[in-house]
Amino acid sequence: MKKIYIIGALACLFSACKPSVNVTVPPTAGDATFTSYLAIGNSLTAGYADNSLYVTGQLNSYPQRLFEQFATIGDRGAKGKFYQPLLTGDMGYPGPRKVVGLVGSCLGDTSLGAIDLPYFAASSEDAKAYVSDGPNHQINNIGVPGIRIADYAVPTYGNLNPYAKRFYHDLTTTPLEELQFRVNNVHPTFVTIWLGANDVLGFATGGGQGDGSGNALPIFGPLYASDAVTPTAVFKRYYDTVVAMAISVGARGALINIPDITAIPFFTTIPSNGLYISRQSLADSLNRAYGNSKDFAFKLGYNQFIVKDHLGHIRQSVPGELILLTTPLDSITCAAWGSYRAIPEQYVITTEELQQIRSATTRFNEIIANAATRNNLALVDMYSYMGTLQSGIVYNGIKYNTSYISGSAFSLDGVHLTPRGYAIVANKIIESINAKYHSTITAIDVNKYNGILFP
Amino acid sequence: MKKHLLAASLVLSSFASFGAGYQLNLQGLRQLAMGGTGAATPWDISTIFYNPGGLARIKTIQAYASVLSINPGTAYGNFQGSTRSQAQSFTPFNIYVGGTVKEGSRLGLGLGIYTPFGTGIKWNDDWAGRYLVQQIDLKCVFVQPTVSYKLSEVWSVGAGFIYANGTFDLRQALPVQNGLGEDATAKLHGVGNGVGFNAGIHMKASERLSFGLTYRSQVNMDLSGGSATFNVPASLKATFPNTTFGSLLPLPQVATFGIALKPLNNERLTLALDLNYTGWNSYDSLRIDFDNHTAMLQNMHAPRHYRNTLTTRLGANYKISKVVSVMLGGAYDPTPVVNGFVSPELPDADRVVVTTGAAIKPLKRFTILAACEFVSSLKRIGSYNYSNFAGTYWTQAITPGVAVYYNF
Repeated sequence: MKKIYIIGALACLFSACKPSVNVTVPPTAGDATFTSYLAIGNSLTAGYADNSLYVTGQLNSYPQRLFEQFATIGDRGAKGKFYQPLLTGDMGYPGPRKVVGLVGSCLGDTSLGAIDLPYFAASSEDAKAYVSDGPNHQINNIGVPGIRIADYAVPTYGNLNPYAKRFYHDLTTTPLEELQFRVNNVHPTFVTIWLGANDVLGFATGGGQGDGSGNALPIFGPLYASDAVTPTAVFKRYYDTVVAMAISVGARGALINIPDITAIPFFTTIPSNGLYISRQSLADSLNRAYGNSKDFAFKLGYNQFIVKDHLGHIRQSVPGELILLTTPLDSITCAAWGSYRAIPEQYVITTEELQQIRSATTRFNEIIANAATRNNLALVDMYSYMGTLQSGIVYNGIKYNTSYISGSAFSLDGVHLTPRGYAIVANKIIESINAKYHSTITAIDVNKYNGILFP
Repeated sequence: MKKHLLAASLVLSSFASFGAGYQLNLQGLRQLAMGGTGAATPWDISTIFYNPGGLARIKTIQAYASVLSINPGTAYGNFQGSTRSQAQSFTPFNIYVGGTVKEGSRLGLGLGIYTPFGTGIKWNDDWAGRYLVQQIDLKCVFVQPTVSYKLSEVWSVGAGFIYANGTFDLRQALPVQNGLGEDATAKLHGVGNGVGFNAGIHMKASERLSFGLTYRSQVNMDLSGGSATFNVPASLKATFPNTTFGSLLPLPQVATFGIALKPLNNERLTLALDLNYTGWNSYDSLRIDFDNHTAMLQNMHAPRHYRNTLTTRLGANYKISKVVSVMLGGAYDPTPVVNGFVSPELPDADRVVVTTGAAIKPLKRFTILAACEFVSSLKRIGSYNYSNFAGTYWTQAITPGVAVYYNF
């Protein structure tokens, strides 16, 4: 063995000391076939980021990343191109994307924050219908921002959702019929399905104002209110239908479950105890304002914000309750929100609402897990992985976590991901696919892509 | 309230540091050509480095100068691909003056200026490990005035005071990007100095057998007052203020035992064995203490946990004639870097060294030496867990050098 290195050392004389190592191994497909890949999902699948859809986000979607890795497999790897309903530019569709910029506060100072793209102008090109120039006009990524499992039976869905409108082949149909059309069109050999988050997220981002009981009734035909939690039976019926339809032409695939949405920066960035009192006189004054009630306690340092809960009660929040990222901070700073005035209920997730979110997520994830088992598909446990990301992962020298902006994984809307975040998600999916199908798909170099960009 | 936006610290991922191989063994050309041995034989005035105890055996005053060219290359590969460090050359030098003060004297005096530590590696700016290191450069020169005394025909001793001076440069990408997606960078530049000593005993058991025992102390390089320069997006200038920093770098202690033997009756062949025990475990962690802190710019503490190493060196010198000698040698140099701490600023691995050289004495008082060292590390699958960076590394280097010395 040592002799090899002695020879190697001498060889250095002639090869000018250019050692090389190649430890790449050709990826293999294992028990699956990746020749034709169809991605089904919502905004996370579409590549939505920074509160909008724009072409750079789409080109960094996790299905795009997965396709690129599938394409490196020789035998039964992905072939051809990956067709996504791409927009024409980076303005944002239909509204502006967010960028890092200087935000002025009511106190007259400025700090870095997320602002709407200043030079936004809606593109008329983006509003036009997307027609794929691929074989059979195929579209491989049919992720629709905003879509819920509950929406899959809603007729004329293409007219209700501006993202669906861009590429649905028939605007009068239901998403299920659209899915059937796409499956017959693409003939997928492999599918990924990441659906279900919006069936609970709408309730959460609405501050828990809707029906979170899991027994909501439709408001019009089969349509449920955007801020309601989808009834479990409805979720099961259509989730199972979507899976069955997606694999109906013999595809194998991976089902990705619903992440713990209460751990995302949209809910965790503003702490419920963010009321900082620097002078005793201020604490005394607040205590007086609330009649020196024993239900209110203000002291020096950090205090729980005053909130209005879903019953209309004004009270001090309790630890664990969530304040939404969309809460206008100027109102807290200069209009006494959270102190002399309550933070309105649409910006607050109370303990009870939190419980409703968590139990709905658990119920839906059971349905997803059962569907994976029954159909012998890979299950990607993104719910647990969010916990891992919450405590932070280090990748090639960069620390990623669920912190807003500094965590690098979540985009400026605090819900969707950065290109690096999507690559991390794609790696988690690859890991689950490899485990299930005995494939050896190579992990993605996450740091090759962008995180948060600073001006 | 907006402050929380960036409140969490974006801690610099890992201020890389010098790796193991930052010890150089190139201080004398004949010794280099003999596998780096030299504790047991005071071949020339460069014994000031190899064994100060041998200085009193140099019969005249001698002046010695050498220069070398280190040409390393390191390959890195992971499952996603491979790359190679950019071509670089380093040119360490050594100068020695000294000898016995007059013929027949027992007292030797001398001064050595030599390069015992140094390293550098330059990766492509966009390589996978850029958030750990893009480029690093360490140069360190020791100045060593030395006294030696011949106690008897058998025993001589010597010791020298070391003043060390060095520079340290590091560049790495920071995990914040500008609007074009370009990484921010951090540059550290430090100049430092430190003191220590080098002592040795030489025993000439017979005309054909001798021994050497030396000890060179640890030198702590104090890099306080170094400058840290951050090239960051304009909006983050206040969060990454250019600042000064301090750091303390240990240059490890080394104990050496050497034997030299002339097995042939004609005494033309010299065989040498040296064992170096290097106290790398003093390099427990690297700390960079910035003098200015912000939420994002915090002091750095990167664990190293080096272990002590025992290097085995073998060499031979054959005197073909009064004018020409040839040398051959080799060494096995185990790495102080333990598994889990292999990082790309100097991805060290056990190394195999092969050396050769020749000496020509065209004039009675004048000698020319040429030597060449070939080093190859063993391929190492290593990870730096602190930054979760892993891969396979392979380093090679070729180091030719020349020296001249003159006996006054």
